[in-house]
Amino acid sequence: MSPLPRTLLDAILIAALGATIGLAVNHRLVGDAFSGRLAAPAAVAATPAARLPQPVLLAEVRELAATGAVPVDARDAALYSEGHLPGAISLPLGEADARLAGFRAQVDVRRTLVLYCNGYGCPDSFDLGLQLIKAGYQDVRVFEGGFPEWRDAGLPVEKGAR
Amino acid sequence: MKRSGRLSYHLCRLLLGGVFVWAGAVKALDVPAFAGQVAAYRLLPYAWNYAVASTLPYVELLAGALLLANQRLKPAALLLGVLNGLFIVVLLSVLARGLQIDCGCFGPDAGTTPLQALGRDVVLLALAVAVYRQHDRYAPPAGP
Repeated sequence: MSPLPRTLLDAILIAALGATIGLAVNHRLVGDAFSGRLAAPAAVAATPAARLPQPVLLAEVRELAATGAVPVDARDAALYSEGHLPGAISLPLGEADARLAGFRAQVDVRRTLVLYCNGYGCPDSFDLGLQLIKAGYQDVRVFEGGFPEWRDAGLPVEKGAR
Repeated sequence: MKRSGRLSYHLCRLLLGGVFVWAGAVKALDVPAFAGQVAAYRLLPYAWNYAVASTLPYVELLAGALLLANQRLKPAALLLGVLNGLFIVVLLSVLARGLQIDCGCFGPDAGTTPLQALGRDVVLLALAVAVYRQHDRYAPPAGP
């Protein structure tokens, strides 16, 4: 009945309408993402989304590190000793249960944490973030570019075991 | 014969629509988490992951809702078919690059491997093709 060009046009219109609604609902998030202002400290509130680790960009990781946030390395100890973000605390996801008490003694729950692991393909920092939120940490960020993006940007890397 | 064909046509339509309404709603409820999952595919510049995560769930919701509501079936099925084809290509690229990620198809807690997602997308693509092709035979004639 309806010829293909008409159907195609309607399909494109449906896609455009859906995308417009999505952008209208999420315009602040998208705007923040494109201007690099994502997950500003004020965004951490008691909303359900805030109970998940919040993604941060490299630029913001640098700012956070300069203002006293604690980098947390979710990779295993061997990778940590080969190179990590300056001042990072090693808390491998696999050892999180055993080491969490010690970590809590070392780092106050009100500190901002920046978790990272091996870049975008690596879910460990996100999973560790969920555990840390459950353990009471209020401001948990995940740097999804992880150690590779930090190193490749030519930023300082610390070596040595924990 | 015609009756069972009509029944299966409507089942395909409702199933396809329901799956996409569900998938879209789950992701629309937590756009930042979905953005993280899109980023895990490592295909887009960082900010574009947020653009996709903000828009894709609503496109899925709208097209799925049209199928459920028995409106604009052919364009909605075409759109979902094209989207599914795109998902399949993206998932193949994930397998080819050996990325170990969660597909993110149904939000943050679904936990589906790329291979499982690929199988599911092939089934959904078949549903979309079925709805598209059977539409003219079983749908009531369009109004003026």
